[in-house]
Amino acid sequence: MEKVVWALILIPWALALAVFISPWHRLRQAITFLSLPVLVYLTYLLSDGSLPLLIHTPHWVSQLITLYDFLLLFYFLYQGLKFRSFLVSVLSLFQIFLLVWVLLILPHREGAELLVDRLTLFMYWIVATVGTLISIYATKYMEQENLERENRFVSVLLWFLGVMNFAVSVNNLEWFFALFETTTLASYVLIRFRWDEISIKNALRALWMNQVGGIAILLAILFAVKYYGVYRFTEILAIKGHLISMVPLGFLAISALVKGAQMPFHRWLLGAMVAPTPVSAILHSATMVKIAPYLILRLSPVIKGTLLAKLLIITTGFVFVSAGLLALTQDNFKKILAYSTISLLGLMMLTGAMGSSTAVLASLLLILFHAVVKALLFMEAGVMEKLFKAKYLEDIRRLVERAPVTVFFVSIGFMSMTIVPYGIFVAKWLTLEEASNFLSHGAYVGSIIFVATGGVILTLLYFKIIGVMTRKREEFFRFRLEKLPFVYLFSTVPLVVFTIVGSIFIALLSTKLINPVVSQVVGSPAPIKALGLTLQTGVSELYGWQIVGAFTLLLIVPVCAYFIHFSGTDRVFTYTCGERVELNLGTYDFLCISQVEPLVETVSVALFVLTLVLGGGLV
Amino acid sequence: MSLALLITLLSPVIGGFVYGVERILRARMQGRVGPPLLQPFYDFFKLLEKRSMVIHSFHAFMGLMYLLGTWFSLYVLLSGGDILIAIFFHLLSLAFLVVGGFSVRSSYSILGSMRELLHMVAYEPVFVLAAAGLYLITGTFQISQILHSDKLPLLYLPLVFIALLLTLPSVLKKSPFDVAEAHQEIIGGPEIEYSGKFYEAIYTAKWIEYVYAFFFVFLFAGGSWWLGALLVLLSFFLVNLIDNATARVNFRQMVAFHWCVLIPLVVINLMLLALWRS
Amino acid sequence: MDFKKFRKKSPWLLHYNTGSCNGCDIEILACLAPKYDLERFGILNRGNPKQSDVLIVTGPVTKRARERLIRLYFEMPEPKVVVAVGACACTGGVFRHMYNVLNGVDKVIPVDVYVPGCAARPEAIIDGVAKALEILEKKKKDFVPPKVCKNVEVKEPINRKFLLEKCLGVKNEG
Ligand code: SF4
Repeated sequence: MEKVVWALILIPWALALAVFISPWHRLRQAITFLSLPVLVYLTYLLSDGSLPLLIHTPHWVSQLITLYDFLLLFYFLYQGLKFRSFLVSVLSLFQIFLLVWVLLILPHREGAELLVDRLTLFMYWIVATVGTLISIYATKYMEQENLERENRFVSVLLWFLGVMNFAVSVNNLEWFFALFETTTLASYVLIRFRWDEISIKNALRALWMNQVGGIAILLAILFAVKYYGVYRFTEILAIKGHLISMVPLGFLAISALVKGAQMPFHRWLLGAMVAPTPVSAILHSATMVKIAPYLILRLSPVIKGTLLAKLLIITTGFVFVSAGLLALTQDNFKKILAYSTISLLGLMMLTGAMGSSTAVLASLLLILFHAVVKALLFMEAGVMEKLFKAKYLEDIRRLVERAPVTVFFVSIGFMSMTIVPYGIFVAKWLTLEEASNFLSHGAYVGSIIFVATGGVILTLLYFKIIGVMTRKREEFFRFRLEKLPFVYLFSTVPLVVFTIVGSIFIALLSTKLINPVVSQVVGSPAPIKALGLTLQTGVSELYGWQIVGAFTLLLIVPVCAYFIHFSGTDRVFTYTCGERVELNLGTYDFLCISQVEPLVETVSVALFVLTLVLGGGLV
Repeated sequence: MSLALLITLLSPVIGGFVYGVERILRARMQGRVGPPLLQPFYDFFKLLEKRSMVIHSFHAFMGLMYLLGTWFSLYVLLSGGDILIAIFFHLLSLAFLVVGGFSVRSSYSILGSMRELLHMVAYEPVFVLAAAGLYLITGTFQISQILHSDKLPLLYLPLVFIALLLTLPSVLKKSPFDVAEAHQEIIGGPEIEYSGKFYEAIYTAKWIEYVYAFFFVFLFAGGSWWLGALLVLLSFFLVNLIDNATARVNFRQMVAFHWCVLIPLVVINLMLLALWRS
Repeated sequence: MDFKKFRKKSPWLLHYNTGSCNGCDIEILACLAPKYDLERFGILNRGNPKQSDVLIVTGPVTKRARERLIRLYFEMPEPKVVVAVGACACTGGVFRHMYNVLNGVDKVIPVDVYVPGCAARPEAIIDGVAKALEILEKKKKDFVPPKVCKNVEVKEPINRKFLLEKCLGVKNEG
């Protein structure tokens, strides 16, 4: 088993190297294609084993990692000096200082350095499927963009998968710091990939913001060692019940919030859109930002019910609503997607912080479906950009006339984030019920308000975009389905299929596959049952016929739209009060919301500080 | 279950009668005589016979889907399942109307669809929070159990009930919250481009929405169905009174009213209740 | 069931002003107000050609209004009737033979009922609409092209967009 874990961590590195040195495009593509079955098979091997798995490592690995830490930080410092970025250099220096301090006081105790439990495995699954599909997609994307630098790009993506696998399986907080900073490095390299001015600027911004998270982790280690004398996840989780101080947990939560691009640290994720689109896809779906909910879920047994959890709920809930609101004012497709990621990450962490088994189930469902759907949407954004030259809402208007298949996929992606039978909806529904449950104990009133209002705002956002895309001038019968390159179809269709099939069998999925994860995170499984397609929770049911009915309603639409033309009926113009005008309509831009943006940011800063100071118990 | 099916199948008829009564009531409130009771059905049959015209087939088809979706969501509500699911199914049916409205290049239609979404933004949180309130009282989200609970939710949730009553105009597109339809301004919004049989689908779906919306009022009486019927009658009267007595607000005022007045109202009620309990 | 009789019971109005002095329009609105209460007959003022049965036109049809009137007429689904309300709409009235008017609605689209008067009294309008309803009940669901398009061939099913473009185009050439 241990070998499999190491293989999962190291094989992406090897593949990345192979891609990097291989001279032909076809070979690189083949290697990338290979990563999918290999990683899936390895993850599958692990699924059978007995988990959790604690892996001890020889001492030299630790020393190697420490050395690597210093190299990394000096590299950051070098980058800061090279690009004259004050923040980056100062933060790197501060990190080096803190790291030295940590190493000085770190007690040496025997213990497992790697921890592979079902939560880790869950993340492995996402990386092995969604992550590799994005890499495959990237090979074609880069072929259309810049074949010369394709090898670098794809190899960084593959390497990123390995890093991610490593990051979610470490137990030692110091190692976690190293991996955390490595993901920062990976994102930095990817964002500045195009080497123009704005890319470098945004990459540096991503770098310093994530370094703040790194500092938070180092401080967390310092305080954990000071108060408890421990520095491993398992040990921190073991001391639950008699916590002396919340400070380390507060700092860890802050690092999660930063990594999860929660306001006010959301700008680095928005900046990531200047890079080639697969970068956004991989940052938003399988890797990087998913560390944030992962970390909260790891800690959720200890922070559950504390003031920290409550403040986290308010902070992330606020982000859930306000990021959705700000997304309404945007007109760049990728930016809208980025805002909606920030918003949904807020929801994931909110449910994670609630910490009850049903909430954690909802959080895991959200992570899973969000990864799939966001990967799909960003890939489609790339397709739209490359094949149809559509980047802004202006350009995607009447896209359905040119690219019905793409529009269909994007619509499925959007609808699956709000509308009734899809996975993310089920997660929201579970959250609402759990929030009402909490409410009956006289607490957490914030959570239900945020979930109820944030959901509708996202619905408004997505339907606004679907509305722009589906606008047409003429009848459908003159249109043809567009031809997409095979690689694009290969990487997107499985995601679409999973979104639909996974949502139909949501009951089985959540009881059989997700609930074991929940029981390992929380300690007890969520009280849900599957009866055929019907999902039963303690207080209510989502019937199978409802799911199937909703899907029939939804899937009738594209099918019939293609076949039914009412060819016997008259065609008329749209009503224009009798005027002969060429109409060119946009959509609402919600300028009134962008006026309150400074206010929103101020509040989010305040909440951030509150979380740290009150939740972490710094006072 | 069979009762639910029966009501669902008959809901266009019931909704039609409700609409007929409403037209008479409204006329009487204005000192007019008003149309005959069966007027909505006359309209229905007339529309059936008109020659239909379409902008393009997708648009017309979405009108039919709206009817189907509304009908299905009503069945989800009446069949006694989860109340939240029923609320979100309504959203699904609304989605058809909205996408249909967006799919034509008519300014009225697009404006109307956008406003339809804003309606949804306004009233849906209130509905969700009201469902949470019902859960606090009855301990279940299943409508069938709420309808048989021996508690009277109205007693515990007076503010929630008031908030729900005040959202009804927005659900049913009545003045002052009829920005999506706004007959004098955008001539029906998303429904403007439908005609003949396709308009008929929209027209009928609106009747079904009457049944859908007033059923929520009915739920507030819990197990005592007579009280529920009384509540429905009262709220029906009240909604029409408000409709006749007020002028249209703009969409910002509408959303602001729902978010800044009604949601706090609901939350205060829920918080007091939860505090009282704990 | 014979649906034809329901036409009479639920006529929906579209009211269009082709350059009248607003006198007749005020009277039409008076019909809908409580005193005369046209809704007794199930009449609704829809303001939307696609859902209306009765087109009530006032005014002498200025040259600018001509195209709009034709478009609105095209957009109404059959069966439909046209009621010309006021002396202007019937013959041009006080505006007759002015340089900018076409002297009456029937120069452009087929008119079924003429309601005279300057301004037409509400009673007369109600009477006219009632007459129109009788005609409406007898009407077939055929498409009668407006006067200006008589020379354009009409085929079933009608693509009105095409037809409209063509017939206005023909006129413009001539
Ligand atoms: S008929 Fe007389 S009142 Fe009527 S529009 Fe003409 S001028 Fe005015």
